[in-house]
Amino acid sequence: MNPALRTGLILCFAVAAAAAMNLQLGAVNLPFTAVLLGLQSGHENYFIVHELRLPRLLLALIVGASLALAGVLVQGVIRNPLASPDLLGVSQGASLAAVILIALYPEVSSLWLPVVSLLGALAAAMILWLLCGRHASPIKIAITGVALAAFYASAIDFVMLTRPQNLNDALLWLTGSLWGRSWEQLWLVLPAVALMPLAVGLCQRLNLNNLGDDYATTLGSAVPQTRFMALALAVGLTAASVAVCGPIGFIGLMAPHLARRLVGGRHQRLIPVVMLTGALLLLLADLATRIIKPPIELPAGIMTAILGGPYFIYLLKKVR
Amino acid sequence: MKAVFKHWIIRFWLIFALPFCAVQAQAGATIEMPGFGELQLEGVPQRIVALEYPFVDALATLGVKPVGVADDNAPERLLPEIRESIGGWQSVGTRAQPSLETIAALKPDLIIADIDRHGAVYAQLQKIAPTLILPSRRASYAETLNSELVISRALGKEQQMQTRLEAHQQTMEKFATQLPQQTEIQFAVATPKNLYAHAPDSFIGGLIRTLGLSVPSINRSDSDEVRQIGLEQLLAFNPPHLVIGRYNDANLLQQWQKQPLWQLLSAVQNNHVYPVDANIWVRGPGILAAEQMAADLVSLLGQG
Repeated sequence: MNPALRTGLILCFAVAAAAAMNLQLGAVNLPFTAVLLGLQSGHENYFIVHELRLPRLLLALIVGASLALAGVLVQGVIRNPLASPDLLGVSQGASLAAVILIALYPEVSSLWLPVVSLLGALAAAMILWLLCGRHASPIKIAITGVALAAFYASAIDFVMLTRPQNLNDALLWLTGSLWGRSWEQLWLVLPAVALMPLAVGLCQRLNLNNLGDDYATTLGSAVPQTRFMALALAVGLTAASVAVCGPIGFIGLMAPHLARRLVGGRHQRLIPVVMLTGALLLLLADLATRIIKPPIELPAGIMTAILGGPYFIYLLKKVR
Repeated sequence: MKAVFKHWIIRFWLIFALPFCAVQAQAGATIEMPGFGELQLEGVPQRIVALEYPFVDALATLGVKPVGVADDNAPERLLPEIRESIGGWQSVGTRAQPSLETIAALKPDLIIADIDRHGAVYAQLQKIAPTLILPSRRASYAETLNSELVISRALGKEQQMQTRLEAHQQTMEKFATQLPQQTEIQFAVATPKNLYAHAPDSFIGGLIRTLGLSVPSINRSDSDEVRQIGLEQLLAFNPPHLVIGRYNDANLLQQWQKQPLWQLLSAVQNNHVYPVDANIWVRGPGILAAEQMAADLVSLLGQG
């Protein structure tokens, strides 16, 4: 069998197994039959299975896949393995908007958080676009994005320091979590799913892009256009994910790497595999947060950071 | 003759009025929750889950044992007398992210949640059980006492709570007579890195003012309940009495005490700096905690 296909199938199996575990394990452990029965309305486990675990599982799949795919798109455009969606300043823009809402307007219902952070993400993307223009080089986008991200991060620190009494809420949101998310939040990330096929449509152009701007242009690819579309997709995917779950870190960095090591850099293979990898990482992270010490639930972002931090250092050493 | 009459009244009361009272209690309360609609309860809740410490204070005051408490897996954060009163409960995790699965598994018939922390998951809590959502974090002294009253209404024990609140008021008045009136007191919590000063409108600020003492204004607006302050700012409003809540010995004051500025504080010069247990003072505002704090203040500042 084709090795890439085999890797893909193994990953599919792993994701399915992790999903099954997510449905079974938690503060209350359920046998598989109880999970199936719990899907029926009126059953005693209906709330736990259908209202809590199933939407959370689907959300982990979509958000994990979105963040990972955004990572591949950004790395494809910037042509740097250390790039990630964070480089665009989108998640920091979303975070700044969310922190302003949490810290300065604590009386506003937290139901507005996804909307406000989505607007923050899109505003950050607009600012990046206005500063760089359509024909900017990858390095200019990267540096501008990093500078903007650093600016938003310092603004976040400023807001939090002026309102220390709301610090804990803000920090909790900034870690990124799937806790308490249900079907309503799932509808909010569905647009991200609609964006995924568009990324598949960009595969060929992204492959050409990897050869360098000159080669890609000679081979008939409109480089600035590809770049714009890929980044716009990455922005959309990141914005939808961050709006609902907060900025869950490192998945957009780790998943593309793992996927590249598994199947190489051809986007036709890379994109499906990276989405599976990202989904798997977030599923496992969320499962870990729920089963390490129930009934304590940690934010999933802590788990991805525990994994991601050392991985990033490993990457840095390897790149050098 | 009179005795018989009395007897008759008692009989009448036993036969007609008492069952009526029971029916009244069983019909359940309807509670208006601003911004969250109306909570309609069928009967008196028996299995209660409390997601913030002050709610546990209310339950302990009423002698009700919750089945689940979001206790951060650290039961020692509750006042010892509350712990004793409510007995064995199941932890449902942290107050910030309580485990909804554990709550659901307890099959409660009433959940008491905090607007600030749990507003975003209100819809889900409501699917588990009728949920009473109240202000607790950042709530003032009056708001906190009012929340306790609302809880008692949900449990059909409003009369008991009213009586308790009156007793509370009397206790406070008695404590007030033992304290030097109009003395200015600043309460602040020292963590390892920061000092958080509580403003006049915070729970503690309200409590201190109820006791006839005063709290310096530290903010442009008093409704910012808590403010992080530095040593220079503390010196700028130089409170004559400084009550410092500490969670443990590792806190900022150890560093500050070595600084010359610290010695300039009039509270320091006059020996008016008092350490208290931050667990009691900050974590669980409520009737029982307030009485404990007032007793602390009397023993620290009391005039015999």
